[in-house]
Amino acid sequence: MTTPIWPIAVITFKEGIRNRAIYGISIFALLLLGANILISGMMMQELGKVAVDMALSTISFTGLLLVLFVGINLMAKDLDKRTIYMVLSRPISRPQYIIGKFLGVILLILTTISILSIFAIISIFMVKLSYPGYFPRFSWPLVLLAISFITIALILLSALTFLFASFSSTSFITLVLTVVSYIIGQSITDVKALVEAPQTVGIKVSSVTVKVVQAAYYIFPNLSIFDIKLQAAHGLPISWSYVFWAVSYGVVYTCLTIILAGIIFRRREFP
Amino acid sequence: MIKIEGISKQFKEGIGSKKVRALEDLTLEIHKGEVFGFLGPNGAGKSTAIKILINLISPDTGHASIMGKDVMDKDTRRYVGYLPENPYFYDYLTAEELLWFGGKASGVSLKVIRERTEELLNKVNLHAARKRQLRTYSKGMVQRAGIALALIHDPDVVILDEPMGGLDPIGRKMVGDIMMELKAQGKTIFFSSHILTDIERFCDRAGIIAGGKLRLVDRLDTLLSGGLTLEEVFLKEVEKAGGGIEV
Repeated sequence: MTTPIWPIAVITFKEGIRNRAIYGISIFALLLLGANILISGMMMQELGKVAVDMALSTISFTGLLLVLFVGINLMAKDLDKRTIYMVLSRPISRPQYIIGKFLGVILLILTTISILSIFAIISIFMVKLSYPGYFPRFSWPLVLLAISFITIALILLSALTFLFASFSSTSFITLVLTVVSYIIGQSITDVKALVEAPQTVGIKVSSVTVKVVQAAYYIFPNLSIFDIKLQAAHGLPISWSYVFWAVSYGVVYTCLTIILAGIIFRRREFP
Repeated sequence: MIKIEGISKQFKEGIGSKKVRALEDLTLEIHKGEVFGFLGPNGAGKSTAIKILINLISPDTGHASIMGKDVMDKDTRRYVGYLPENPYFYDYLTAEELLWFGGKASGVSLKVIRERTEELLNKVNLHAARKRQLRTYSKGMVQRAGIALALIHDPDVVILDEPMGGLDPIGRKMVGDIMMELKAQGKTIFFSSHILTDIERFCDRAGIIAGGKLRLVDRLDTLLSGGLTLEEVFLKEVEKAGGGIEV
């Protein structure tokens, strides 16, 4: 007997890739990447770093828009509009539904990021071709690694949207919770460092605040570890052990989040 | 074929609000090859009972099975075709893709899916629109696509929640013909409606539900043997129930 996970993933991907919002997001990204070539031409200093940073930031920001405005809808709209009835009336378990949907979203992220990456690489390549002197320590593998890390972070963030959608009643709540998690995830390392050593900046922090921040550090995903745009822009090497631990962290956090979403979703009713 | 034993279900409509009893001790059996009509006013508990059979909600008490299998077991739905009330499907999929999903998810081979898709889309008069995205469909077309989806895996049991909803007279005749055809094939049909003529036209047996309680269940000819019309029988039972029950 074939598993129903794949058909769910396929229709989720098709529904996502044909969404009109994707066209808007893609045009926006292409404009930014086009601007990359123009802006770099005006800078005439640290040009290589600006070109790489801007290309990677565009991919990262566009991916975030994709997760927030297309990814969330793919799961939450099923609940809002009750399309979930047609899926769950098939011999499909709730965890299979979550996994199928999630695979569809992963496919959507991989496809979109791949297309954006091609344009990003072209934009870097064109700047590099025009001003080769500004790229002394430039490394393509580092750029590709940075793109891979952005993709992992987006998949992790999508897993969180599934967790939030599994218990929230509307897609708006899912959106808010995801944005909050993203902001916390991006800044939690810095905030933790700050509250644990407040004397370095001359402030006082209560022990309760320290405990709350430490708890948040372990609960929320640490998205900053996937942000190596700076290293890629400056051509700074990344160790294999860092890559291994970051990827492992992303995979484990994502899997645990999806398992938890599946457990919560198992008990959910659709009146 | 379909067995519902002592099912009760309460819903809480919001934080701090009172619980509303949607179903109270519902016991019902529908036999193989039978067309059973579930008649009741809006909010009577028809859809709640159906959603319990599809495992979209779980009962507080009681038990339901289809073909001897617990409805909580996902494999039960391999033999069940379901049309929800006011169905809504994915906007950007075509009718063909929708049926592909329905068949594939139910374990049907690609060859059979192709044959059944062709046959069913012709039957519901959507063949010409099969490659159009569902967001371009009218309400009636979506309803007909939903009926084709419910039947793509050739189920033994067909559960239709207000199948005539949103259909024009031609669409209603079409669905009526499909139901008669399914009956001739020996399929078991359980459908809900608040349209009395539909119940009279298609059913072997009917049950009247109001206020979450099954008020009456019998063969249609027996229900009408007292000289009353179905409308009169229905109104009498609904009046007795006096609407929803608050606890």
